[in-house]
Amino acid sequence: MARKATKKAAPLFDEVEPAGEVAVALHDAAQSRYLNYSLSVITSRALPDVRDGLKPVQRRILYTMLRERMLPDAKPRKCAGVVGSALKDFHPHGDTALYDALVRLAQPWVMRHRLVDGHGNFGSIDGDSAAAYRYTECRLAPMAEALLDDIKKDTVPFRPNYDSTQTEPVVLPARVPHLLVNGGAGIAVGMATNIPPHNLGEVLKATLKLLADPDIKDYQLVANDAIQGPDFPTGGQVLASREELREIYKTGSGGIKVRATTVEDRKAKTRTSRTLVVTSIPYGVNKATLVEQIAQIVVDRKMALLLDVRDLSTDELRIELELKAGADKDKVLAYLYKHTSLQTNYSYNLTCLVPTENPEVGAPARLGLKEILWYFLQFRLAVVTRRLENELGVLEKRIHILEGFALVFDALDEIIKIIRASDGKADAAKKILKRFKQLDAEQTEAILELKLYRLAKLEINLILEELDAKRNRADEIRGLLAEDSETDTNSGRWGIVREELLEMLELHGKSKEAKRRTLIEAPEEEAAYSEEDFIVAEDCHVLVTADGWVKRQKEIKEPGKSRIREGDSVLACVAGSTRSTIAFFSSLGTCYTARIIDIPASTGHGEPIQKMFKLKDGERIVAAFSLDKRALPGSIAENPKKPEECPMVHAIAATTDGYGMRFGFDKFVEPSTRSGRRFARASKGQAVVDVLMLHGSENLLAITERCRAMVCPAVEVNYLSGPGKGVRLIKVAPDDKLLGFKASRGERDLLNVETNRGAKKTVSTVKYRITARGGAGTLIQKNGRIARIVTEAITAPTLRSR
Amino acid sequence: MTYNADQLTVLQGLEAVRKRPGMYIGGVNSAGLHHLAWEILDNSVDEAMNGHASEITLTLHKDGTTITVGDNGRGIPVDKNKKTGKTGLELVLTELHAGGKFQNDGSGNYKTSGGLHGVGASVVNALSKTLSAVIKRDGKQFKMTFAKGLPTSKLLRAKGEVRGTGTAITFTPDPTIFPRTTFNAETLAQRLETVSFLHRGVKVVFVDEVAGKRKSFRHENGIADYLKQVLSERKAGPIHEEAFYFSKEGEARVELVFQWTDSTDEHLRSYVNGITTAAGGSHENGFRSGLNKAVRNYLETHKLTPRGVKISHEDIREGLVGILSVFIADPQFQGQTKERLNNPEVQSLVDGALRPALEQWLNTNQSVAEGIVARIIAASRARAASRAASASVSRKSATNRLTLPGKLSDCSGKNRTDSELFIVEGDSAGGSAKQGRDRTTQAILPLRGKVLNTEGAGLKKVLDNRELADLITAMGCGIGPSFDLAKLRYQRIILLADADSDGHHITTLLLTFFYRHLPKLITAGRLFIAVTPLYRVDIGKQTYWAEDEADRERILEEHGDGRSTPQITRFKGLGEMMPKTLWETTLDPKVRRILRVEIADSLETDRIMNELMGRDPSARFRFIMDRAETAQDVDL
Repeated sequence: MARKATKKAAPLFDEVEPAGEVAVALHDAAQSRYLNYSLSVITSRALPDVRDGLKPVQRRILYTMLRERMLPDAKPRKCAGVVGSALKDFHPHGDTALYDALVRLAQPWVMRHRLVDGHGNFGSIDGDSAAAYRYTECRLAPMAEALLDDIKKDTVPFRPNYDSTQTEPVVLPARVPHLLVNGGAGIAVGMATNIPPHNLGEVLKATLKLLADPDIKDYQLVANDAIQGPDFPTGGQVLASREELREIYKTGSGGIKVRATTVEDRKAKTRTSRTLVVTSIPYGVNKATLVEQIAQIVVDRKMALLLDVRDLSTDELRIELELKAGADKDKVLAYLYKHTSLQTNYSYNLTCLVPTENPEVGAPARLGLKEILWYFLQFRLAVVTRRLENELGVLEKRIHILEGFALVFDALDEIIKIIRASDGKADAAKKILKRFKQLDAEQTEAILELKLYRLAKLEINLILEELDAKRNRADEIRGLLAEDSETDTNSGRWGIVREELLEMLELHGKSKEAKRRTLIEAPEEEAAYSEEDFIVAEDCHVLVTADGWVKRQKEIKEPGKSRIREGDSVLACVAGSTRSTIAFFSSLGTCYTARIIDIPASTGHGEPIQKMFKLKDGERIVAAFSLDKRALPGSIAENPKKPEECPMVHAIAATTDGYGMRFGFDKFVEPSTRSGRRFARASKGQAVVDVLMLHGSENLLAITERCRAMVCPAVEVNYLSGPGKGVRLIKVAPDDKLLGFKASRGERDLLNVETNRGAKKTVSTVKYRITARGGAGTLIQKNGRIARIVTEAITAPTLRSR
Repeated sequence: MTYNADQLTVLQGLEAVRKRPGMYIGGVNSAGLHHLAWEILDNSVDEAMNGHASEITLTLHKDGTTITVGDNGRGIPVDKNKKTGKTGLELVLTELHAGGKFQNDGSGNYKTSGGLHGVGASVVNALSKTLSAVIKRDGKQFKMTFAKGLPTSKLLRAKGEVRGTGTAITFTPDPTIFPRTTFNAETLAQRLETVSFLHRGVKVVFVDEVAGKRKSFRHENGIADYLKQVLSERKAGPIHEEAFYFSKEGEARVELVFQWTDSTDEHLRSYVNGITTAAGGSHENGFRSGLNKAVRNYLETHKLTPRGVKISHEDIREGLVGILSVFIADPQFQGQTKERLNNPEVQSLVDGALRPALEQWLNTNQSVAEGIVARIIAASRARAASRAASASVSRKSATNRLTLPGKLSDCSGKNRTDSELFIVEGDSAGGSAKQGRDRTTQAILPLRGKVLNTEGAGLKKVLDNRELADLITAMGCGIGPSFDLAKLRYQRIILLADADSDGHHITTLLLTFFYRHLPKLITAGRLFIAVTPLYRVDIGKQTYWAEDEADRERILEEHGDGRSTPQITRFKGLGEMMPKTLWETTLDPKVRRILRVEIADSLETDRIMNELMGRDPSARFRFIMDRAETAQDVDL
């Protein structure tokens, strides 16, 4: 029965209505879940907090390390421990992500001021990864103390961790505007952040400047006595004017260019080369990749002035660029800036989390510099206030107890008597409370715990003095807390904030580490180099083979001896400047033009032409010409407005069915696309046999497979202004085809052919009468066929001097 | 009986052949028997190969055991050899190691040949009951007869003049040596056809007097025709029109033709001097390495290998059907049966000749090359996929037999009704689900990490994605144009992700995938989202799971003991639960809750999905900012 049911075609499924099935709209389900995800990423993953400049994972790592007492003066301990503890107590995510975050905190080329002091392999600027966490050790770096100081004095709010077994700080009581000091980057959902590192001294100065005058204009915070711009740990130079930077710091977004710094090593200068040393690279650039990029340019000879690149970095960055002697170093650098990450763009996006009414959650916002600093100052005030309140609470507790002591010291003998007469501690407490009504249980307890030596006269005085001091301090704090700090930045609490900032400036702002590393320069009038300018004009030879392999060499002395692939033969060898172009004419009537600099430089086989251009199946290159003006003098028509006018030097092409056409080179001078330009439209199934260069006065000698030869003046072949079929050069029988032709200038020109029997034969122009074009030609031998035309030895052309 | 030197025997001449025929022809079975015919045929082929003969005729006589092989070659010399005083014909047919094929330095009469040990004809003679040779040479006709290798007549000259030249050898195998002496006409015909393929233009005639048939083979295009025939025999569809043909003459002749096809294996027939080399050898090795290098060079030059794809030589040769024929001067085979070529120099010869030619061909036929490269990359991908799925399981499902992804833990029930596929986030949760499920109806497919965002992704991109491709395979219903709801292998597809933010993200990504690429699954009401508990309540040492606030209160009331304060936490990941608990809370159809996904308002759904998952981040930004205030239960 059941079998039958399943075999039935429809319905597909036996509808079983399962219990607990509720319908939900797709968009509702997706929306609520996506919202949850995106808010989670925004508020607790990708964005740093404006107050301490940390993302949750970083904060959790630092707090874990503090709890484990891995302070700067302690012995470094295994990172595995930190990862494990942080994972267990605060951060229930992947261990690798956590360790990666820890490693970044310890990398000096990432952090302007490291927060973690790493021991062991923590990776390198070459992109090497750090050793596994079972090998590496770490402890907090001094800068981390500036973030964690006072955390035990209830200065910041805490919240329960993910499983409510611990509490963790919502924010760290940072003493410096860490968001700006180390910067940060992150991609959330619908928003992202990218904040560069800054100079600690400058940031503190700017903060103090703002505190001194809360109504200060935005632009005044970007100044010589405040922030001058980003300060990357890797140095480099920033190309931006003060105006541009002021605008960026006002709006929180904008882009700047970051460049490597270079100096010339004059000592290394030789007769043939000069050396340029890269001393710093842009922030975030992988050095090994950069060197690879530059090396590729050297190998490809894209920038001929650049001879070599060497990475000689130790702990100090040093990449040597070897330049040709006399090379314009600005030109080389301009090329490298454009084509490698020796120059990068940095785009600001000062997005971070700002505090909300709910102390546990922040809201994302893109801020300007002033807002960031103001948020920080407010936070400092809150920290100071909370610290004072905390201190006051402790003081009041102590004062209360001391007051108890003061009271009983006046009736010391009586107290002793009561205690001696009592049955135990509890009984004594009861009796004291009964006798001294002013005391409470807490004070009584403290009295009973008092050590006997405290009863000495001097000790009693000490306690009274302490009481006095504590009372004064408490009064002072009460005064400070009572002051209005909302509106008045001259209040005492603000004074404390200011003093502490000054203290930080003193402590960190003047150290060697805090010295500015990145140069800020207004973009100079950049000498504009066009793509052409980067090509060093250099004469060279290009070799093209019958199979269509091309290569460029500085000089090919004997094309016949050049290295070519087995079974291949040299088709042409042309000369030209690297700045000029070369035209390849194909059997299907298409001309492909390339810049000579783009022809692969090689001493090997070169590369197939198909790599540069999109040739059709079976399409071959039949001829190639350098379009250097020196190689083709007079190739451009005198009057370019009349395209039908024939320039002095032009080309002739002929097809297998005996059609020929003349045309100018001028249309093919500029580099073509990958699909080339048409120069001839041969009939279906026919192909272009050859393309030759003409001066106009030549005679043509054409040979067909079936042994027909004819000679006619080249001028009889029509000059076409656009691609066409041409006119009949020689009448070719249906079973015959044109094998090749030759332009003859002199009296006597020879064409060597090989018959299908392997015999060699020489055809001379003198032997045949010059006829009009379009004839059938003369039979040069009765039997057999001509297999091929023997190519003459190709010599390397020389260019006339400029 | 004493055993001394007199007991030792030295077999003289052809006696040895008769005593140990296996040494010379590989055995006395049918293959050995036919080998006799091949030996004589090869002699004629050698004549043809060197351009002396244009026609070869093999006649199987009426008795079925007698064969005549004739050619119009030069004819075996009949003049007397000065050293031995015997005629050339007698030497060739009665002496081992006599022949005209030893000198191949150019002075010899044969450039290349298949037989070279000089044993061929004499071995056949030795193993034949009778053998007669008729020679036409210099306008005269000669005849000589033999029995069991010994001459039974002198060299006789026929009267009168004859036209032309040639050799005809007729032999009947000796039944005292071969248990069966009947030749197989089919085998003979096939061999003759192969000969005609490898020697283009040579006319090969087979006269079968037993069946009274006559077949003539002649192929102007040689192995190219052969390839066409092989392709149609194997029913392999070529993926490019023109086969690659290459031939090179020189000290040795290399001729080959091949084509890539849609078949999944490689098929290469190789011949050395017209003799099939079933076990390959150095020429095949050369072919493979030349092919491999040429294709790799091409891929390298044009930077065609996609990232992450590693191409092995098997990938390059997959689907290749080809014929390779080489003619070399001094072939060394392993064994007289010539199954494997041993000459090491042939490898570099074939390699060196093929590589530049093939590379050039690929370069000049870019559109063909593109097709071939696509074929190779597909092969490489398929190979990688099959490696990954080596531990794959297959289940005979209600619809068809499939190769299912290895990660899928399928259910055992044969019936589709009430079967469920749980798509689980990660292996950690997958493990719990696997152990906690009802294995007769519930299948588990764990997905690794975040799946691809398919909003705006094409079908190809989706199929290229490992995780999604596995998912599609597991569901069995296909995708895009091949989608067929009837082939869905489960009644319900249930998304089961962790209750944390990343779990939510994965759920939305999967919803996007189903909405954009398999919307019919949703409209058919097949897609569900599992509801996992929201809270974990720890009371003392006991743990309870609450699916919502009301449930939580109920648990507190029922289980609160007043002594320890209950700890309530948000439930995080499925990996937190014991498999049994997962079953009780989420999987058990009797008690669980699941959400059936519906498209309530198609316009609104499209707009929202595009806003959430589309290309425009500003739309997302607005969406988040608008709703940030109202969001609940956000993970921190």
